Amino acid sequence: YRGEEEIQKECALFPSAAVGETQSSVSAAEDLQTYSEREWKGNTTKSLLIRKGYEAIASEFNLRKVRGDNYCALRAVLFQVLSQSKQLPAWLHDSDISKWPKEMHSDQDFITEWQFPFETSKSKVQHLEQCLELLTNKWQEAVQSKSLEERERMCQQVFRGHDEEYELLEALKFLMLRTAVQLHSDMEKGSDVPEFCWLLFARDSSKCPKTFLTNHLRHVGFSGGLEQVEMCLLGYSLQETIRVVRLYKCDTEEFITYYPNDHKNASPLCLLTEDDRHYNVLVPKKFPKFDAYGRPKWNPPSDGQSSITTRL
Amino acid sequence: QQRIEIHKLRDGDNLILGFSIGGGIDQDPSQNPFSEDKTDKGIYVTRVSKGGPAEVAGLRMGDKIMQVNGWDMTMVTHDQARKKLTKKNEDVVRLLVTRKSLENAVRQSMMQH
Repeated sequence: YRGEEEIQKECALFPSAAVGETQSSVSAAEDLQTYSEREWKGNTTKSLLIRKGYEAIASEFNLRKVRGDNYCALRAVLFQVLSQSKQLPAWLHDSDISKWPKEMHSDQDFITEWQFPFETSKSKVQHLEQCLELLTNKWQEAVQSKSLEERERMCQQVFRGHDEEYELLEALKFLMLRTAVQLHSDMEKGSDVPEFCWLLFARDSSKCPKTFLTNHLRHVGFSGGLEQVEMCLLGYSLQETIRVVRLYKCDTEEFITYYPNDHKNASPLCLLTEDDRHYNVLVPKKFPKFDAYGRPKWNPPSDGQSSITTRL
Repeated sequence: QQRIEIHKLRDGDNLILGFSIGGGIDQDPSQNPFSEDKTDKGIYVTRVSKGGPAEVAGLRMGDKIMQVNGWDMTMVTHDQARKKLTKKNEDVVRLLVTRKSLENAVRQSMMQH
């Protein structure tokens, strides 16, 4: 139990990591303009630039702050997937992804190098199987939500900073590895690959999937986050486009960057970063009450819920 | 949309705002007399104390609270809303509210009596 004073001091030290008085890994939505004016007082060139960036998008989005550890990019993407995804993606629907760790393990000896952020009595392969099964279940649960409120409740259950959340994040890392293996193999065969692959494997420290894992991927969440080329890999692995508003690039053509760059996806996952290190989530300010067919977006439950008033 | 700045009144250990709230994503929206859309699970002002800090600041019964000090209130539980309004170290809360048109409000208050 931490006293309120201690929590307030910590919030002051790590403004980008503050997620309020609960244990939630993703905070409630707040107004971008208000946030910007509070966090970036002063008139340095940088402050003015960052505030300008916030102001440019403040009418379109609200902000949800993401727990600021080295998992934050993965966490922000996972949150957007679970809260916005309209249906299970084809790759998840068509395969039993919990079989993938064993398949990879029989092919090459990568999984022995895996690092988990929690204790496990199982083998690494078994634990990754568990992580992928959890991802499948949670994604299914999310898209089957009957209302926005139900979906929000489900997300709040996941993003509590418990093992479950980290298992899902590790599942995303595994998907990145598997995709990297496939893409590398395609490259060797001379097949067409997305542009970012060349950058991914051009780095001296990750010339092949094995070194990509040992020098980069397995440290994500521990000692490092995701580089931009790895953001492309993440988007591509999920068959999603990640759209990032990069505030320090305000006034340049990189202010809004898509990972991967071909942005085929009509509904990108929207994130925000001030510095390409910490990522927060953007939620559209006006969510439509009616879908494309004019039907109301959520059904009134009326299942004996309370309707209390509170005097303040 | 209106911006309302409420200066809380100190009453011993308590900070009084002088209004009551209803609504929240965990509440039954069909019971809300103020919303036009009976599936609206937002936070509404159900009562304003006469002469209290909220009334003085311009808050009115039936107002829908959109934001409190920049925090979004359109997708919160009843208790989350209460917490955002009653922080012990905050003497002032700035609300963003939407208010129905005057004629609707008049019609509403006539139906109440």
